Amino acid sequence: MKRFASLAAALLSLALVGTALAQVRGGTLVFGRYADSLFLDPVLNDANLDIWVLSSLYDALLQPTADGSGVEPGLATDWAFSDDGLTLTLTLRPGTKFADGSDITSEDVKWSLDRARNPDNGIWGFTLASVDSIDAGEGEVTLHLSSQDPTILAALAMFNAAIMPRDLFEAMPGDTDEDKAKAFAEHPIGSGAFKLTSWVPGSRMVVERNPYYWDTGADGEPLPYLDAIQFEIVPDDATRILKLQAGELDVAEFIPLSRMAELSSDRRLTVELYPSTRVNSVLMNNRPALLDGTSNPLSDLRVRQAINYATNKQALIQVVGFGIGQPMYSYMSTTTPYYVAGEGYEYDLERAKSLLAEAGFADGFSVTAIATAGSQDDLALLTALQSMWGDAGIRLVIEQLDNATKTERYRTNDFQMRTAGWTNDINDPSQITSYFAVYETIESLHTGFQSDEIDALFAASQTELDTTLRAGQYARIQEIYMAAAPIVFLYENPYPVAMSSSVKDFVQIPLGVYIFKDAYKAN
Amino acid sequence: MNRWSYALARVLQMIPTLLVIMILVFALVRLLPGDPAVAILGDRVTEEAIRRVNEKLGLDRPLHVQFGLFLSRVVQGDLGESVNLKLAVTRLIGDRLPITLFLTAYAGLLAAILAIPMAVLSALRRGTWVDNAIRAVFQIGLSLPVFYVSLQLLTIFGAKLRWFPVGGIGPTFASNFYYLFLPALSLGFYMAAILMRSLRSSILEVLTADYVSFARAKGIRPRLVLTRHVLRNAMISTVTLFGLSIGQLMGGAVITETVFAIPGVGRLMVDAIFGRDYAVVQGLTLAFAVVIMVVFLLTDLAYTVLDPRTKVA
Repeated sequence: MKRFASLAAALLSLALVGTALAQVRGGTLVFGRYADSLFLDPVLNDANLDIWVLSSLYDALLQPTADGSGVEPGLATDWAFSDDGLTLTLTLRPGTKFADGSDITSEDVKWSLDRARNPDNGIWGFTLASVDSIDAGEGEVTLHLSSQDPTILAALAMFNAAIMPRDLFEAMPGDTDEDKAKAFAEHPIGSGAFKLTSWVPGSRMVVERNPYYWDTGADGEPLPYLDAIQFEIVPDDATRILKLQAGELDVAEFIPLSRMAELSSDRRLTVELYPSTRVNSVLMNNRPALLDGTSNPLSDLRVRQAINYATNKQALIQVVGFGIGQPMYSYMSTTTPYYVAGEGYEYDLERAKSLLAEAGFADGFSVTAIATAGSQDDLALLTALQSMWGDAGIRLVIEQLDNATKTERYRTNDFQMRTAGWTNDINDPSQITSYFAVYETIESLHTGFQSDEIDALFAASQTELDTTLRAGQYARIQEIYMAAAPIVFLYENPYPVAMSSSVKDFVQIPLGVYIFKDAYKAN
Repeated sequence: MNRWSYALARVLQMIPTLLVIMILVFALVRLLPGDPAVAILGDRVTEEAIRRVNEKLGLDRPLHVQFGLFLSRVVQGDLGESVNLKLAVTRLIGDRLPITLFLTAYAGLLAAILAIPMAVLSALRRGTWVDNAIRAVFQIGLSLPVFYVSLQLLTIFGAKLRWFPVGGIGPTFASNFYYLFLPALSLGFYMAAILMRSLRSSILEVLTADYVSFARAKGIRPRLVLTRHVLRNAMISTVTLFGLSIGQLMGGAVITETVFAIPGVGRLMVDAIFGRDYAVVQGLTLAFAVVIMVVFLLTDLAYTVLDPRTKVA
C-alpha cells in the first residue's frame, strides 16, 4: 500500500513537473499579417488592424474572457455596483506599472477613461456614454453612471478603455489631443504584456516583453513567456503561406479557406479555426422605392422571405467557405451573449416560389447587388447566389465597385442589395443590435428596416441589469428581426490561422483580438 | 550648348510639366466617387463624424483654395499628411521610395545582364538553333504574367530549395542584393525580353551597315568591331526603350511588391487610392513623375555619350 502511495506521489510530482515544464520561456514569435497597423492609439483608431493588436500593448481594467462570454480581472481585481446600480467601484490591482516602470495611478485611470468617453475623441465614445463622472480614489476608481448600464463591464474590457500614462501623454508635442496621440502612438507606453520597440510601417513591427507586466504564468513567473513578437507584413495570401511553410513565419493570419484542408495535412503545421463573431449576410434595401425612384420588390416581406428560402446556406458554406462555417439563425453570431437560434429559413425552393407568386412576382424579377471589385469572396458568394436565386426566378445582377464608392453608395441608401460582414467589438449584443436592428443608429445598416417594438425593447435592454429579463428582451428582438427578414441570412465563419506546430497557446478571441501573453514556442 | 547647360535647360523644362501633372492629379483624385471621410470612417460612419473629418482635412473648402494650399505647401516641401497612416507624406515617400528605386534599378541591371549578351549571341548566330532557343525562352518571359513568374520563383527557389528568402526585405542595404534577387529577377525577366528583341534587331541592322563592313575590311579585330562599332550604335534605340521601360517597371513593382511582401511605394499607392488618401496619392504621383522625368533626362544624356553626333539643342 505504501509502495503504491509513493508511486502515486512520484507520478503526481512527475505530472506536476510535466505541466511546469510545458511552457517554454524565451524566443521570438514571427507573425505574418496581411496588412500593417495604422495608428496605435486605443481611442482614436477605427480599424481592426489596430484593434486586434492594441490589447497586447495596452491593458485595460478588465479583459474579455477567451470564450467571449464575459469579463475577467485586468488592472482591476474587483468591482462592485451600488444598490441602485448607478455607481461602479473598481479596485485597482496594487503595484502595477507601465512598460517604462512608472506606477499606474488612479489618476491615470480616471484620465484615460475620461479621454475615451469624450465624444470629440474618435468613434468609440458611445461605449462609455452612461458614465457621468469618474472619481480617482486611493487604490480604486468610482464611476458614476447617469443610468443603469448592463454593458459597462464589457465596455471597460474594450481596447478603447485602455489605461495610458497621463503625464507621458500630456508631455507629447502638439496642441490637440490628436497631435499628442500621433506622437505618443509612435512609441506607445502602456501596461500590456508587450511593448513596442521598433516599427517600420508597412513592413515590420517588433514588440518585446514588458518586464513590468502584472500577470503570472503557470510557472509562477511573470508573463509573457515570449521575449518578443515580430510582425511581418505579407499582403499576398500565397506568399504568407509559403513563408510559413519555409519556416520564416511561426504564425500566418487570414489563411484563405480554400487552403485550410491542404495545410492541415502538413504535419509541421497546426491550423486553427478560432470561433468568431463574424457574420456574413446580404443587406436588402427594404424601402418601397430605390433612390433613383424605381419601385423596389424587396419592400415586400414575402419577397424578402422568399429570397431567404431560396438561399441554400449549407451549399454556400460548401462552395464559398470550403465547408467551413455554420448557417445563421439570428443576425448575431452564436458566440454573442444572449444569442438565440430562431426558426431560420431552411432551404425550400417551392416555398420561395409560392411566396413570390403571392407577392405578384410569379415570373420573377431582377435585383442588383453591389460588391467590392476584385474581392474574390464577394464574387464567389454572389455568383453562387445568382444560380440559387435563378432557380426561383430571381435574376441577380452584380455591380462591382471599389470599396470607397461602395461605402458611399451604401451610406446614401443608394443600393438594392450589398454584401456585408460584421465582427463585434464588445462582448455584448448591444453593438450589433443597435447597428443591425435599431433604425436610429444608421437606419438598420441602411436597410431602412424599422420596428417600433425592437426600438423599445432595445432602449429598455440598455438599462436592464437583470440578466434574465435582458435575455428575454434579446430573444424577442431576434425573433422579430428573423421574421421580418430585412437581410439575407447567410453564415458565420471562424478566424482561420495557421502556425508552426511548435507554437502553443496562442488565442484569437471571438472579437478578433489576438492574445499573445500565454503563447510560447515549444522546443 | 554644352552637355551641362543642356541638362539645366531640361531640368527647367520639368517645372511646367510638373505643374500640369499636379493639376491633373489634384483633379483626378477628387473626381473619384467616394468621400475620403467615408473611406476613413468605414461602415460605421455618421453624418456628424463626416462633417468633422472634412473640416479637419480642409475638404469643406472650395477646390481652388484647396489647390492653392496644396501648391504652396509643395513648394515648401510639405506634401501633407496621410489620413490613414497619420504620418507625413514626405516621410512615407522617404521611407518607401528608396526600396522601390532599388528594386527597379536592380531589375534593370539584371535585365541588361540577361539581355545584352543574349541579344549579341542571338544576332551573331542568327537562324541557328541557339538563336531560336534564346528567342523562345524570352518569348515565354514576355507572355507569362509577372505574378505567376513571381509565385513560381518563390515556390521553387524560396520554399522548396531555400536558396532565397520567401519575400521580405533585408536588414541592411547591401543584403537586399540577396533578399530582392527573386523579385528583381521576375521583374527584370520581362524587361529583358523586351530589350533582347529590340537589341537583336538593331544589331542585325547595324551588322549590314557600310561602316561595319569598312571596319572589318580595315582588319580590326572582330571583338573590337562588335563592341566599338556594332554594339555602340545598336544600343541607342535600346537605351530609349530602357528608359521607357523603367516607368513600366515602377508600375510593375505594384504587383511584385505585393507578392514579395516588399514595403515599397507601389503597395502604398494602391492602398492610398482605395483608401481615398488624397495627400498620399498626390505626393506619390509627384514623386513618380519626378523619378520618371529624371530617368528620361538621363536617357537623353546617355545618347550624347553613346553618339557624340546627337544634337543637344
